[in-house]
Amino acid sequence: MTTNLQPHPETDASAPVNALEVRGLVKHYPGVKALDGVDLVVRQNEVLGLAGENGAGKSTLLKALVGLVRPDAGEIWVRGEKVRLRSVVEAADHGIGMVFQEQSLVPNLTAAENIVLGSEGPGVRRGIYRWDTMRKLAQEQLDKIGSHIDPLARTDSLSFAERQMVEIAKVLRIEERTSHPPVIILDEPTSVLESKEIETLFSQVRRLREFASVVFVSHRLDEVLDVCDRVAVLRGGQSVGETPTAGAVPSDLHRLMIGSTGSDDHYHEGLSERSVADSEPRLVVKGMSGKTFRDVDLDVRAGEIVGIVGVHGSGREDVCRALFGAEPTLAGEVTLDGAKLDLSGTRAAVASGIGYVPAERKIEGMVGPMSVADNMTLTKQKSRCAGPMVVPQKQATLVDKWIERLSIRTPHRGTQIGRLSGGNQQKVVLARWLVAGDIRLLLLDHPTRGLDIGARSEVYRLMRELANSGVATVLLADSLEEAIGMSDRIIVMNDGRATKEVACPSGGKPTPLDLVKEMV
Amino acid sequence: MTSPAKADDEVVRAPRPQPRRGVSLGDAGPPIALVVIIGIFSLLSPDFRTIANLQNVMDAAAVLAVATCGISFVLMMGSIDLSVPGVMGASAIAVALLVANNRNDNDLGLLGVLVAVLLGAALGCLSGMALVSLKVPSFMTTLGVSAVGLGIATLMFSGVQPNISDAMLRGWAVNRFLGLAYLTWIALGCVLVGWLIQRYSRLGRYAYAIGGAEEVLALSGVKVAPYKVAVFTLAGSFYALAGVMVTSQLSAGLVQAGKGYDFAAITAAVVGGTLLTGGRGGVLHSAVGVLLVIVLQNGLVQIGVSPYWQGGVQGLIVVAAVSAAVLPQRRRNQVTK
Amino acid sequence: MSTPVIADPASNPAAEPAVVKGGPTLGQRVTSFMPVIALVALLTALTIADPDFLTQRSLTAAVRTSAPLVVLAAGATLVVLCGGIDLSIAALCSLSTVLFAMWLPDMGGLTILAVIAAAGAIGAVQGLAHVLLRIPSFVVTLGGLSIFSAIALVISDAGPIRVVDRDSTKWLNLYVAGYVPMSFFVALLVVAVVSLILKLTPLESFVKAIGYSESAARLAGTPVDKVKVAAFTVSGACAGLAAVMLASRNFSGSPTMADNLLLPAVAAIVVGGTAITGGHGSLWRSLAGALVVTLLRVGLPIVGVPSAWEQILYGAIIVAAVALTLDRSKVAIIK
Repeated sequence: MTTNLQPHPETDASAPVNALEVRGLVKHYPGVKALDGVDLVVRQNEVLGLAGENGAGKSTLLKALVGLVRPDAGEIWVRGEKVRLRSVVEAADHGIGMVFQEQSLVPNLTAAENIVLGSEGPGVRRGIYRWDTMRKLAQEQLDKIGSHIDPLARTDSLSFAERQMVEIAKVLRIEERTSHPPVIILDEPTSVLESKEIETLFSQVRRLREFASVVFVSHRLDEVLDVCDRVAVLRGGQSVGETPTAGAVPSDLHRLMIGSTGSDDHYHEGLSERSVADSEPRLVVKGMSGKTFRDVDLDVRAGEIVGIVGVHGSGREDVCRALFGAEPTLAGEVTLDGAKLDLSGTRAAVASGIGYVPAERKIEGMVGPMSVADNMTLTKQKSRCAGPMVVPQKQATLVDKWIERLSIRTPHRGTQIGRLSGGNQQKVVLARWLVAGDIRLLLLDHPTRGLDIGARSEVYRLMRELANSGVATVLLADSLEEAIGMSDRIIVMNDGRATKEVACPSGGKPTPLDLVKEMV
Repeated sequence: MTSPAKADDEVVRAPRPQPRRGVSLGDAGPPIALVVIIGIFSLLSPDFRTIANLQNVMDAAAVLAVATCGISFVLMMGSIDLSVPGVMGASAIAVALLVANNRNDNDLGLLGVLVAVLLGAALGCLSGMALVSLKVPSFMTTLGVSAVGLGIATLMFSGVQPNISDAMLRGWAVNRFLGLAYLTWIALGCVLVGWLIQRYSRLGRYAYAIGGAEEVLALSGVKVAPYKVAVFTLAGSFYALAGVMVTSQLSAGLVQAGKGYDFAAITAAVVGGTLLTGGRGGVLHSAVGVLLVIVLQNGLVQIGVSPYWQGGVQGLIVVAAVSAAVLPQRRRNQVTK
Repeated sequence: MSTPVIADPASNPAAEPAVVKGGPTLGQRVTSFMPVIALVALLTALTIADPDFLTQRSLTAAVRTSAPLVVLAAGATLVVLCGGIDLSIAALCSLSTVLFAMWLPDMGGLTILAVIAAAGAIGAVQGLAHVLLRIPSFVVTLGGLSIFSAIALVISDAGPIRVVDRDSTKWLNLYVAGYVPMSFFVALLVVAVVSLILKLTPLESFVKAIGYSESAARLAGTPVDKVKVAAFTVSGACAGLAAVMLASRNFSGSPTMADNLLLPAVAAIVVGGTAITGGHGSLWRSLAGALVVTLLRVGLPIVGVPSAWEQILYGAIIVAAVALTLDRSKVAIIK
């Protein structure tokens, strides 16, 4: 499929004006180019699907459209008029509203208050609430989408799907702000809905199309094809193509989303020299249950990389944290090299030779204002001490050795880690588990999140080297591609359970589509 | 992906509660506790179960009820207010010097009360302004403003205690209507006004919403800063009125008029079911909390416990109430500051 | 995300800047010297106002008054470095003066150690309540404040208790090298020893990691709970030591003796430049902060400002100092 995007539709004067148009949008974050010249057209009364892998720039683009992110370059046009969106309110004034993935409702207010929040109009006179008017205003919005929710119910007493309806009703308030049909953005609205709820939502979306334009974002491609008229695909912060949904199949979209892998060995598979199939399992998990996962069985051999994949809410993150003692477990038996593992806390996990690289690097992974050296030796204090005392010389030698081994680019070991680029920060966080040389199991939770391609490749290489040295690795990858590329085996998690194991040997890799089928 | 904490709520969905409008079962705890405590003390002490003692309890609760009314709004937002002693001290001295007194020739009567309340509002406003403009956490700004209030009070006090001779203000504490002192009726009025503000004004509802999800308000285009300042101002006026009431009770203005009321008010609000993290509770909850604290105080004295233990008992119950509220939500990797 | 890598991966990092953010801003540089600047400015101002001020005698008197404050602030600084706050120090100190006066007749010279140990244990209990029950430190210590006051009132029957045996604390009123009051010397010793222990052991890393980012510290496997309890214990023990100093100077113990030291102690910590959000700061800073606060206290009458302004000044200083040192990057929403 080739790119058939037309960047200059306004040249044809007879064509109807587009509801929304984005031209060459660029947004930089430190170390990453989130948007790299995105073009997008949303026509009147259509449902446009937006697809792309994690990190393709979807969420940054959406945030730019509702004024939460200010682009560094590029233009946004609304109904043929160039606009600058500096806040959600300004976006709403132009008729653009978004239903956020993490819902943006105040839980302890009533549904009615949430629907009119910030634009109460006649619902509040001189600072005094008129509950009757307020209820009526909200009811009008709820009627638009045919919802029967009690407007005076507290929001936190509603189900997730009902809250989603409230959110849509709230967004529809922007109709009253403009005389034009609104543009409604739905960001991953189905990720935690059940199939019946999804059906309801879809009928709402089709209803919305009657009087509005809709941008629909979902990682479930079958849904996108089902509900949308047209799909635009982002990759690496760029628009890489679009297609009408009629007649299209998910694999078409997927090919666009991931691009051609080419012959280049991005994941350094050549480094996997050993076969791990016959070595003894190092980590054995039997029937582990926690708050968000049940009866999980898992085993990882020394030198093996096991990926766990699953959609948002599959519970895989919590399995990972539970193995590190950072989440409580309710049942199950876990052994490491045959010895029963103490899951009571992170200290015990560290003592057993387990390392964990959290997804939220800046909050949980590193201590930003502390030096590279102190971050690196934070866990394995013995490596820089003689008895109870810190020996600065010992620390300096050790840290410098690892800075060199992992080619960490830092002016000095005393530099604050917060001042390094993301990739180098992550390497320091990884080095923290390696300095003592006693690591047996490494739990990697989105280790490449927010890193650029070069840095990612280096992390991949490091993971391979560690595996080759006999470290067992559990990987929660940032994308299916990454999981497939890096893992020797993949466990699929679905709704808190490990539902499927997929062998993933070099040369016999499954496709992302094979996995998606198991995940949803 | 969201944080694991968020995923918790979404994946393992508890049997869904029916949509509800009014009070929940959890809100019934403090009133039940109140009834139980009253029952226990009635059994233990014959002096406790007299009408006269009931009047005592109600009258003793008046000042605390007014101060707690104010602090409830601040706690609802998830902020904290330690400025009660300072604001009460300043207003207590101010009103003593403005109505008929032995220090000067002022005789402003009700107007004096109003000025004192405005002084409290100004101090509250100061806390709020420091919070939103300097971005200093409220427990620090209010600690500072408390010191400022005490300083102002000390300046006005200037070594000579102002005794009031204003008949009206003295009468508030002495005269009774339907068996309760005027001050108690004022307190009941404050609770009513506070409840109306909380239920029917945008200020009250937004204070509640700020405690629930401040970032969502901002996302919906609501500028929260003015509401925060307004809430602190409102709270300051309530404290100031409480200070005036203390002056009425003592017939004199004291710098220490508000000593201990900061903690007592927080205790009452927390025991009544207001979360320190904000977004839950309210004026009526706090009123129940005030009664709990006062009944406990009164009852313990009636059964012969030293009144010096008052503060200690409050300390214990606030720690107990907060931990009871926190325990169900605790997570292993939770950050507690 | 899944864009194929065409370029040689090894050449990519070179394109990546090693350091992406700038160094400390000018404001941060200035605030890091704030306590010393304030100290020098105050000394200069006071000397100009009263040339007699800069004499050995008045300086000796000033540092002697400051000793209990230095000790109190130093202890509480540890808790603040961990990201918490200890509002109970003054009340605990008052309680300790009562304990000291009551125990002295029976225990003699050992009383000093006993009081410090008891106060340390009480601090540890608060720390345990904080980490086990997961209650915010300011709630625990606010509760502690009123509980300790109540206990002090009850056991002392709300009145001062005279210290009859003055021999066992006589040494605190001596002078080191003829000039430095012993109590201040002890305070310096406390600051130096605690700082040194932090510096020479992994504890400093732990405390800073916990203060800057508690979740990162916990996920790195540092003993977060133990360190926090230890910080509260030291804070309590320091309150006990400050109580010994106060009681030996006033020859009595009283349930409200140290109550008015809470605000100056908090002021000393924040004026020293220790961030109330945790991580950044040191005990030496609090020492400087305590000296600033003490100079203000003794200096205000010299320049002719009524002492009532002292309170107002504390209030303003606390708010201003916190505003200057607060790490705003950490807290998106300030409550």
